[in-house]
Amino acid sequence: MAERDEIQRFTMAERLIHWAVAITFVYLVLSGLALFYPSFYWLASVLGGGPVIRRWHPIVGVAMFVFLLGMYLQWRRDMKLDDLDRQWLRQVGKYIRHEEGVPESGRFNAGQKLLFKTMSLMGLLLLLSGIPLWFPLRFSRSLREWSILVHEIAALVAIGGLIAHIYMGTAVVRGSMRAMLTGWVSRAWARAHHPRWAREVERTP
Amino acid sequence: MTNGWTDIANADVIVAMGGNPAENHPVGFRFVMEAKRKRNAKLVCVDPRFNRTAAVADHFVQIRTGTDIAFLNGLIHYALQNGRYNEEYIKYYTNAPFIVKEGYEFDEKEGVFSGWDESKKTYGDKSTWDYERDDQGYVKVDLTLQHPRCVFQLMKKFFARYTPEVVAQICGCSKEDFLKAADIITSTYVPAKAATFLYALGWTHHSHSVQLIHAAAMLQLLLGNVGVAGGGVNALRGHANIQGGTDCGMAYHNTAGYIPIPKAANQSLKEYLEAHTPKPLRPNSMNFWQNLDRFFVSQLKAFYGDHATKDNDFGYHLHPKLPEDPQTGKPENWSWAFIFDAMHQGKMEGFISFGMNPVNNGPHSRKVIAALAKLKWLVVVETFQTETAAFWKPDILKLVGLKPEDVQTEVFLLPAANFAEKDGTFTNSGRWIQWKWKAIDPPGEAKPDQEIIARLFLKVRELYQKEGGKFPDPVLALNWWYTNPANPSLEEVLKEINGWALTDVPDEKDPTKVVLKAGDQLSAFLQLRADGSTLSGNWLYIGVYTNAGNLAKRRSTEDPTGLGFFHNWSFNWPANRRIMYNRCSADAQGRPWDPNRPVIAWRNGKWVGDVPDYKADAPPEAVTTGLGPFIMLPEGVARLFVPGQFADGPFPEFYEPLESPVKNVLHPSHSSNPVAVVFQTTQYDKLGTPDEGYDIACTTYRLTEHFHYWTKNNPYNVQLQNEFFVEIPEELAQKKGIRNGDMVRVISARGEVRGRAMVTKRIRPMVVNGRTVYQIGMPIHWGFLGRGKQEGGLANILTPTVLDPNSFAPEYKGFLVKLEKA
Amino acid sequence: MPTVSLEVKAISAATTPAPGMKEAPRVAKLIDVSSCIGCKACEVACQEWNDLPPSVDRPFTGSYQTMPDLSWNFWQLIKFNEILRGDGRLEWTMTKYQCMHCADPGCLRACPAPGAIVQYANGIVDFVQENCIGCGYCITGCPFDVPRLNPQTGRVSKCTLCSDRVAAGLEPACIKACPTNCLSFGTKEKLLLIAHQRVEQLKERGFPNAGVYDPPGVGGTHVIYVLPHADRPEDYGLPKDPKVSWTLKLWKGPLKWLGHLIVFGGILGAFVHYLRFGPHRAREEDTGK
Repeated sequence: MAERDEIQRFTMAERLIHWAVAITFVYLVLSGLALFYPSFYWLASVLGGGPVIRRWHPIVGVAMFVFLLGMYLQWRRDMKLDDLDRQWLRQVGKYIRHEEGVPESGRFNAGQKLLFKTMSLMGLLLLLSGIPLWFPLRFSRSLREWSILVHEIAALVAIGGLIAHIYMGTAVVRGSMRAMLTGWVSRAWARAHHPRWAREVERTP
Repeated sequence: MTNGWTDIANADVIVAMGGNPAENHPVGFRFVMEAKRKRNAKLVCVDPRFNRTAAVADHFVQIRTGTDIAFLNGLIHYALQNGRYNEEYIKYYTNAPFIVKEGYEFDEKEGVFSGWDESKKTYGDKSTWDYERDDQGYVKVDLTLQHPRCVFQLMKKFFARYTPEVVAQICGCSKEDFLKAADIITSTYVPAKAATFLYALGWTHHSHSVQLIHAAAMLQLLLGNVGVAGGGVNALRGHANIQGGTDCGMAYHNTAGYIPIPKAANQSLKEYLEAHTPKPLRPNSMNFWQNLDRFFVSQLKAFYGDHATKDNDFGYHLHPKLPEDPQTGKPENWSWAFIFDAMHQGKMEGFISFGMNPVNNGPHSRKVIAALAKLKWLVVVETFQTETAAFWKPDILKLVGLKPEDVQTEVFLLPAANFAEKDGTFTNSGRWIQWKWKAIDPPGEAKPDQEIIARLFLKVRELYQKEGGKFPDPVLALNWWYTNPANPSLEEVLKEINGWALTDVPDEKDPTKVVLKAGDQLSAFLQLRADGSTLSGNWLYIGVYTNAGNLAKRRSTEDPTGLGFFHNWSFNWPANRRIMYNRCSADAQGRPWDPNRPVIAWRNGKWVGDVPDYKADAPPEAVTTGLGPFIMLPEGVARLFVPGQFADGPFPEFYEPLESPVKNVLHPSHSSNPVAVVFQTTQYDKLGTPDEGYDIACTTYRLTEHFHYWTKNNPYNVQLQNEFFVEIPEELAQKKGIRNGDMVRVISARGEVRGRAMVTKRIRPMVVNGRTVYQIGMPIHWGFLGRGKQEGGLANILTPTVLDPNSFAPEYKGFLVKLEKA
Repeated sequence: MPTVSLEVKAISAATTPAPGMKEAPRVAKLIDVSSCIGCKACEVACQEWNDLPPSVDRPFTGSYQTMPDLSWNFWQLIKFNEILRGDGRLEWTMTKYQCMHCADPGCLRACPAPGAIVQYANGIVDFVQENCIGCGYCITGCPFDVPRLNPQTGRVSKCTLCSDRVAAGLEPACIKACPTNCLSFGTKEKLLLIAHQRVEQLKERGFPNAGVYDPPGVGGTHVIYVLPHADRPEDYGLPKDPKVSWTLKLWKGPLKWLGHLIVFGGILGAFVHYLRFGPHRAREEDTGK
């Protein structure tokens, strides 16, 4: 087979699970903001009204956690940080400023890996702290109070991560979006953004 | 009540004993709270349980159930010993100075009064329980109170045994708690202070209940607390209109107005009146019952109308008479428990249970069920289906080992309207006859009581008319004058109870004057005539419906004296008098004992204030010459010593309940009331002893949350207390391995019930006569029918068939049980 | 029944100030624990007025107490408590428990649904059922643990101090039903005066620690108590020093601003980054076509 111009970055399963997490997460962010901050309550109307989001937010939350768990199992080997990644992180400023001299990334760069780990951890925290909020009558008041705090802080971290991720995936690293939609990237794209991964893919027949 | 609900607010000390007013009279209890707030009054609660009244009391004493007389006698002893009595009061207002016949005696070792016949276990000769008379038939008195046989000296001797130590020993309380209570209560012996006693079924449900109230009355008389504002001996009645029922002849032994029921022995009106009209015992005594002829003839006119004439003794021959017992020659007893005893013996064919639930009421539900099963027919008139109407159901009949097919009783359940579905009057504990208005129509085919009675009557009369019968005359002659004979209006009935003049009634002193014109409503007792010219269903209620109209409807909150008389609120029998015996509220000179709380006072030749309970124009000093303030009694004064009216003695002696965990420490040979009624006719008439393992004292009571066996049909009440429970002291529960909420079995010699254990600190074990005695208690409100958990938790399955010998009230409040974890 | 709208002082989840400008006299309910006889007339009056169904099959509570706790259909609960004092004296306290109508209501602070909880100028804190989303944050926010969720309707309810009756010039149903004047209703100023009079009386009658319970941690309440042992409110089932919790304050305070910073700051930051650095241009990026 002649050398194809493009290589497959994400399988169908990977893409499905990513988008499942993405869609549920966006819903959770929007409904969660409405539930947490009066200034965002207008989002509730967009999503069907207060009682509706109160009902669905925890259910969708559990769904997201299940997808997130799938994503974690699927990518956890690819997401291990190695020495080069640590070097990358030390020089993350250069990456942000698009400067030369950033260590080469594998299938995922260290920023992505860190985001993955953070999101996974936040997902777990949100699930655990969300249950007492879901069934307030079954838990003590102090546990509920702590849950609110944990849920809120975890949500804020996750929202921060999401904003960064969307920005990077759409505006900054062009082609990422196509990769997550179609599954394919150009060899050049691969060599540019994930050189170590590109070499690996090219070595294997 | 000698006083009234609103008057409680005038008290300085309130004694809640033999009653639990905070729980069972919460609305009236507002006046207790008012006294506490406004007068800084002290509330003393004496009870076997730390109840909801105790929770707001200033001093609580726990006593063993059934030992109230010992406690009260201890208080009397304390008052006598410490000079805490009102000497002028007892001299002129009680029989303290009366001299008692020679031969009267109380045997302290045996615990019986003179005249006791040990072989027959009865008082064969009560003739010594009487006063010494002079040659005119009047009682001899010694106003110095020094005569060794005067009532005062006899009391001192009689009560000397009830020292604080003995009281503590009997009641199981501490001596200190008793003394503190004694100090608070007897502190009201000073003229300007008053204590009120509030009691209810906790006193009346004993085998010595009448003597119990006697003891309380004696104490209140000694302290000068009867007839005064904030005083009195006050029975808190258990139903909205039980007072009205009592007033209007509900009990078997009298007709309306406490007129004695005619007995078979008195075959003519003359004989009857001679037998029942008392003779004055002191010169000048008002002896108001001397007017019995007026009361009774007017009542016969109400009963038989035109059929009651002078020539036929006003229909006296038509009036039912209490038959004689062929064995004893005494009138038969048809009080509550005797009815079911007779029924069980097969002496009754039918029974109409009107607003009663005898299966639950007892005493001893099993005996009642077995008795009902022997009837040919049973009519139950009720607002709900009751256990009585459904006694034939398998789970109820099982209690007496029968099956529905074994029972031939035909049962009719007639649906009745409840209180809110009909108008009429309620007479409250304070004797206020209050009109009430119908709120809603009764549901379905439910009918008001008077319509049910009237339709039954009309049908029976029709049958007598058509078919004749043994003695149709009383039914045919009955005065059924109502506009709507099938449903008499209660306005008309009240009018008739009050009564009217049938012809012009002339003044007795000046026959040229007319007191009443024919058709005028009566407005005073002595307008009644014994010649058939007046008609009155109940002389006591005269004044409730005058020419001015239905005064029971009055609702004025005007209270010019600030003492809570409210003379223009409804009508208060007798004669709109708010405080009975109120001549006693002023001293012999007519000066109120407490100038700040004058009930009546002598001013400008007349008595002003409340309606005087005295001859209206008699000057105050008359009280020193025999015109006593207790106008209904031939003595004219209150009876400390009761000369023969009671079956069990002239003074209240302490006796243990028939079932008691300990023997009477004063006289073990006569431990319990020697003349109590103890049925022995059926297998259900059994008593248990501590030796047989029945060693826990048990009492029954009612809860705020329920009204008898009625509210178990109302979801709101059921929610408040939805399950039968047994209150158990923590120590006993621990001993028996019972935890709060466990199911337990309570067993008496007569039956057993299962209920949930409510383990509490509010009943504490007590040391009685050197032995630890446990008490438990249970509310009565459950049964087999209704909402919530109705699983047969019926307290009266346990209670004994034992009665007080005077009132024939059952001993529901003290009996023995075993307790087991179920 | 004629009703007039009550002047609103505060609305839950409001982003703008409440419309009300008028002042109204502050009302209150006084509970004199020393004269409660536990008759439960208030409990039933409350249920009947508010059309709340009775729980006929409620569990056995082990005491005279009607329910183990407040519930969505039971807004007033008399708590029964047996206490053996050091001197061997038994006390059986009966303390009515219900919404305290705090001046600084934690429920209202916590509520995310605009208009689901309102505080009227007269001090009544009321739940507006149609705006309630059933999240239960008010249950967490309440320092007295009062609001209760109805699992069927998903709405939270509690004592309204009969705001409908009060608006029509009537006293709340529980007060109307109370036979002993243990409960009274009026302006808070007047009731505080009565409360202090009763406290003085209690002190004379052997309760040296009698006092008024009007906890300052929630800005005072519109339900106040006369307690014979005010030094031990927990004997009556009342929290010793209730406060709006610090977690709630953190959530509705600093964390709220942090949240807004993250959302809006994140978006703004990305935009500025793009303006400054643009997309990532890798060396070979455009060569791979």
